[in-house]
Amino acid sequence: MKNIKESNGEGDKRSHGVRALMSLVVPVFRRHRMRLLIGFVALITVDFMQLMVPRVLKVGVDGLSSGEATSSRLFQLSMIILAIGIIVGVLRFVWRNLIIGFSRLLERDVRERIFNHTLKMDPAFFDQQTTGKIMAHISNDLNAVQMACGMGMVAAVDGFVMSSAAIMLMLFINVKLTLLAMLPMPFLALSTRFLSSKLHRRFNTVQEEFGILTEFVRSTLVSIRLIKGYSMESFQTKTFDGLGKKYVRSNLQVAMIQGFMFPVSTLVGNLGLLMVLLYGGRLVVTDIITIGDFVAFTTYLYMLIWPIMAVGWVANLVQRGLTSLDRIYSLLSRTPLLKGVDRVVDRKFIPRFQLKNLRFHYPESKIDVLKAVDLEIKPGILGVTGPTGSGKTTICKLLARLYPVPDGTLFLDGEDVNTLPLDTVRSMISYAGQEPILFSDTIYANIAFGNPEADRDQVEQCAKIAGVHNDIIGFQQGYETMIGERGVTLSGGQKQRVALARALLYDRPVLLIDDGLSAVDVQTENHVLEAIRSHFEGKTVVIVSHRIKLLSMTDRIIILDDGKVTMAGTHDALLKKSSFYQAMHSKQVKNEGEPL
Amino acid sequence: MRDFGHVEDGQVGSVSDLHLWKRIFKMTTSSSHWLLLAVVLSFAVTFSTLALPYLMQQGIDRWILAAHLENSVRFAGLADVSLKYGLLVAVTFFTSFFQVVTLEWLGQSVMHEIRQKLFYHVTSLDLGFLQSQPVGRLVTRLTNDIQNMHEMFTSVMVTLFNDSLRIFGILILLFWMNVKLAAVMALFVPISALITYLFSKYARDKFAAIRRQLATMNAFLGEALSGMSVIQLFGQQLRSKKEFWILSEEYLQRCLRQIRLFGTFMPITEFLGTLAMAIILLVGGHQVLEKELTIGELVAFLAYMRLFFQPLRELSQKYSIVQSALASAERIFALLERKNKIVEPLQPAAIKDVRGDVEFRHIHFSYKKDEEALSDVSLVIPAGSTVALVGTTGSGKSTLINLLVRFYEPQQGEILLGGVKIQQFSTEDLRRYIGVVLQEVYILQDTLLANIIMDTNVTRQEVEQILDQTAMHRFVNRLPDGLDTVIGEGGHELSTGEKQLLSFARILCRNPQVLILDEATASIDTESEDILEQTIEKAFENRTSIIIAHRLSTIRRANYIAVMQHGKVVEFGSHQELLERDGEYTRLVTMDQVAVS
Repeated sequence: MKNIKESNGEGDKRSHGVRALMSLVVPVFRRHRMRLLIGFVALITVDFMQLMVPRVLKVGVDGLSSGEATSSRLFQLSMIILAIGIIVGVLRFVWRNLIIGFSRLLERDVRERIFNHTLKMDPAFFDQQTTGKIMAHISNDLNAVQMACGMGMVAAVDGFVMSSAAIMLMLFINVKLTLLAMLPMPFLALSTRFLSSKLHRRFNTVQEEFGILTEFVRSTLVSIRLIKGYSMESFQTKTFDGLGKKYVRSNLQVAMIQGFMFPVSTLVGNLGLLMVLLYGGRLVVTDIITIGDFVAFTTYLYMLIWPIMAVGWVANLVQRGLTSLDRIYSLLSRTPLLKGVDRVVDRKFIPRFQLKNLRFHYPESKIDVLKAVDLEIKPGILGVTGPTGSGKTTICKLLARLYPVPDGTLFLDGEDVNTLPLDTVRSMISYAGQEPILFSDTIYANIAFGNPEADRDQVEQCAKIAGVHNDIIGFQQGYETMIGERGVTLSGGQKQRVALARALLYDRPVLLIDDGLSAVDVQTENHVLEAIRSHFEGKTVVIVSHRIKLLSMTDRIIILDDGKVTMAGTHDALLKKSSFYQAMHSKQVKNEGEPL
Repeated sequence: MRDFGHVEDGQVGSVSDLHLWKRIFKMTTSSSHWLLLAVVLSFAVTFSTLALPYLMQQGIDRWILAAHLENSVRFAGLADVSLKYGLLVAVTFFTSFFQVVTLEWLGQSVMHEIRQKLFYHVTSLDLGFLQSQPVGRLVTRLTNDIQNMHEMFTSVMVTLFNDSLRIFGILILLFWMNVKLAAVMALFVPISALITYLFSKYARDKFAAIRRQLATMNAFLGEALSGMSVIQLFGQQLRSKKEFWILSEEYLQRCLRQIRLFGTFMPITEFLGTLAMAIILLVGGHQVLEKELTIGELVAFLAYMRLFFQPLRELSQKYSIVQSALASAERIFALLERKNKIVEPLQPAAIKDVRGDVEFRHIHFSYKKDEEALSDVSLVIPAGSTVALVGTTGSGKSTLINLLVRFYEPQQGEILLGGVKIQQFSTEDLRRYIGVVLQEVYILQDTLLANIIMDTNVTRQEVEQILDQTAMHRFVNRLPDGLDTVIGEGGHELSTGEKQLLSFARILCRNPQVLILDEATASIDTESEDILEQTIEKAFENRTSIIIAHRLSTIRRANYIAVMQHGKVVEFGSHQELLERDGEYTRLVTMDQVAVS
């Protein structure tokens, strides 16, 4: 089985300068500067107090070895250690809450900015950025930024303070011993740096493969009827075996690194101790350092291991954080292609559109979907038909202002739409599409989506017009039934009708039904159109359909072919002059076994 | 990670359930030598880790502080101890490495085995059960639950085993060195166990709360992003913004609560270490003064203390992993034990050429209690004839087919294929004799040819031949690379009509005795429809065929028409006969219901 997968663009290349990226987070830092200041003061204080503990131990051990120590002296020293422990505990609580808390606040800020930004984006943007990609920005990238600004910052400061202080103190005891004991340390920093980035990559692979495995299981189970229908159980199990083995292999590769990385820190620490034992021991023997120095030295060495590891770790965190910030920055700097004009319009519009020599291609392609369309849409019912790909849906999308149009090609009641605010045009329109999107909420809330203030009678009335009321009251919880994984799964036709009810309740002067009844049976469809006709007198209805019967009920029909209006007229007129329409008619009449 | 909106409530397993443990360990029997190796390595790691501070103490007491000896002797002794120390350092490193890799390998192979077993088991279960389960739940069993169990294998077996071994080892060593001081240290075991237990309990709740909120937030986000055009067309941006703000704020609060919890407990556990240090200095120092303890031993005590607290801190974390892993194991075993309602015959009928006649005898069937989907259906379909099933949605057409291929078992009555009860065939054979062309098709992301052949041994030539005979080559020629066109996601997207054609091709290459066609309800493009008509004509020749028909042209071609209504066959006969009867069939035809049902 081949896997056709798009790469997830996990490169480390950044396309924006650090300064630009910082502009995203610096204001948040500034806003919380007191929080950060107190947090870091607490953190650094903790470090210094911790460094005092070995000093106290040294005094104790030295006193014991020289025989000068007394029990009251020992008690005193123990109390000092205990006091340090308590203060350190309190300060640790303080910095954890302040600094790690800050990283969460920052995360929240950026998360909401991303979402609010996407609310302004147009469909052209969503054609390129799939939901999955944006979700990845909000979860993975944001997580990386949060880690860098939380634990990353803590580890950097903590590591720097601790290591420089520990090294200073060690140097103070004996320079040569310090250098010897530190000998393996750079190796630790380098290996953590190298291994943790490798680990991160391999871990991503594991995650990806887990995703593939999960998706395979899901798609198999979703289509279990088909799998069984074609007796594919064994076949699927075999494919699954292959995926599973690959997953096992990737996991082992992660384990190889993990199995190396953590023992390596112990190794380096122990090698340092070995040096202390061998050389430090000689120094004690030759009375250059005291036994207390020796003990303190080993304690400092332990203190160094973590900060040295942190150097490699922090470097990776920062790099990853910056890369993620870069991706977020790119996302936030995208602007919608569709720009309305910002001005107050106080006139009323008659729901009348003119399309003048309208040419259009989708932003990501070069092929014109509409080629010089001239059309006038007036109050009444307009039927639109034509072969697949002829541009029917595109016209609906342009009327709803989902994609930009060239100047001077689309007019609302005499005014070029490009000179009007987006909302002015959109607030004229109500839309029901072929594959409607409903939300995981109750049916009631879905119908009332565009008009949350509507009362129950209005909701039910629209459901009745859309011919879905009887279906809804057939469910156990009626209008309160949840849609989606946690509730009922609606059939394609039911979804279309709920979406239609939603569009009807969102009572606007223009109603666009873009093949929004294709999965609804003919009888219901006819009732729906009749109901719409009687309820929406004086409005403009545009309805895209393949069905002759439905088209015959409209006031006027246009036939689109290859982006052009090839014929327009009433049902009867088209039956006489359009060969396409005649062919459609005879085919459908033959199949339905009933003359119109 | 995706969880398909299915969040398992914070279920935990009982750690004292011996039966469960037994089952889990049974699974490792096939790789028991790896388990043995892991245990041996664990002992080696613990031994060498604990021997290091001991050697250090030996170095201090025997050589560094031995003022009565010659310096050269002291240096030599020091060098000797250092050499041993260095060797042990190397041993620690390599055994740790191999232990991690061994356990990962062990865990992964065991989990792979279970996953395979579970996958096959689940896909073979009866449709009735599968369709009663939310897909998300079953996916979780096969992915996250198994992942949970694996977590236990590696981190728990390594750490629980290593850590307890280490704690016991240290305690024994300490008691051996100095009873009084060791007794004080031992006091810390129950104290930190209690603290970490409490912590892990709260932490688990907090984590679960965060995960739940994250799932809710992501679910909202996913819907809002894919439904953005709806939000914009209905002018609901402000509302979405507010709704997201509420979710995001709640998530933030839950994260902050967790930080507060960690901020409280982490310093407390760290403080325990400091407390122990103060006590060792006080009590141990006294003993040094009383000459009951050497300075080297005091230093060793301080070193062991560090080794002692680290595993204590981790034990609690592991405890909660074990709990959730056991819960997962329980769920997995429950699913594995689930019996298939479709029972395979003990001795499947081995018939070479099954005759193609099908008979339904007094069939009663209901999906849900008290709602009969089929009541007393009897139908005889002679070999080689074509029967069209006609009726409105919910009249029982599809149910009849579901029973014929044993997706479900009828509550009463029996079905015969070639005079043999279908329960006597193995389901695999049965579904080979009876080929179903469904409206939808499961597409592999591969070439058209691979999608047609799948796991059968048909050659390319044979496929081409069959396609030629059934007019299907027209369909293949329409695709950009013919049989080698890559289809599915990322490749050529098939239209509704093309999907049905692929489905047809797949079944025809299996040359079934009985062919069933579930005609597409949605309108399909004219050309596909044309090809389909020709294919039907050729494929149905001399083969028993059943069509769930929606198009008059297809119905007309059938030898017999069975009209279904409310789970019963109400009329049966040819098109002409039924029209003359002027009953339900006539009504259906004139009411348009036939065209689109």
